[in-house]
Amino acid sequence: MFRRKQAPTSAAVSSSSSSGGVNHPAQAIARVKKEYVECQSDEGMKSCNIKLSLVEDSFVKLRGEIPGPLGTPFEGGVFQLLIDIPQNYPFNPPIVKFETKVWHPNVSSQTGVICLDILKDQWAAAMTLRTVMLSIQALMSTPEPDDPQDAVVANQYRSNREEYNRTAKYWTDVYARPGVSEDDVKIKQLMDMGFDEAKCKTALAKAKGNVEQAIEHLFA
Amino acid sequence: MKVRVKNWSAVAVWRWKVDDDTCGICRMAFDGCCTDCRLPGDECPLVWGQCKHCFHMHCILKWVHSPNANQLCPMCRQEWKF
Repeated sequence: MFRRKQAPTSAAVSSSSSSGGVNHPAQAIARVKKEYVECQSDEGMKSCNIKLSLVEDSFVKLRGEIPGPLGTPFEGGVFQLLIDIPQNYPFNPPIVKFETKVWHPNVSSQTGVICLDILKDQWAAAMTLRTVMLSIQALMSTPEPDDPQDAVVANQYRSNREEYNRTAKYWTDVYARPGVSEDDVKIKQLMDMGFDEAKCKTALAKAKGNVEQAIEHLFA
Repeated sequence: MKVRVKNWSAVAVWRWKVDDDTCGICRMAFDGCCTDCRLPGDECPLVWGQCKHCFHMHCILKWVHSPNANQLCPMCRQEWKF
């Protein structure tokens, strides 16, 4: 059902990156460092609210954040991306996938893998993480249903646009709402039972995040 | 008054004559060297393609020989020719 064009490469990289980037040559690390510093001061990225941050200070794994483009079903959402730097970067493209679930013809609804030409055969060494993030934001505004990553979403996009828009917006509301953590959802659930917020938080902490145990604490 | 020059030292600076500041592949300064080299100069020269784009020679050779390149300039995607 899902085309997995990227599966072999992403599998290869995730196994190598678990060794903490020891195998990455200085050239790859030096370039990512420069790009990271440039991105922090780039006015274009600031004005689009696109953010880039480090995972574990290693410069081989980064996290991107893209706000859903206005006028799309993704509006109002904030989407997290995981970026893996391959050992021979920038001669091979970064491996980027959505960490936030998203309903989009070119993104796997199961794995977050992205189908985007510049992340594959159209990559060029002069491209940067900045251009990649901007391209992904553009892809969110303009899906390419003829080159799908998720056939189910692509079919829906082509045959029933209204339902596609509804589903994509629902996924945005459920998975990509900024500042709403899993704990916030659980606390809301407990508060809906009529307990006050402080009690719910204490109970949830006692239950180490387990809602059912928290309920037992609250009724005890 | 007569001045007698006892000795003198010549000092020269050099720069590559190039429009950009940094190599688009390694992002290091053109007046520096690529990330694999330690000293700038003839050991780490710049090269220009027919499309007028300029890179450290070591960087563009690595790119052209990588399977993703398809022999295209990384800047303009025209065919890369020295």
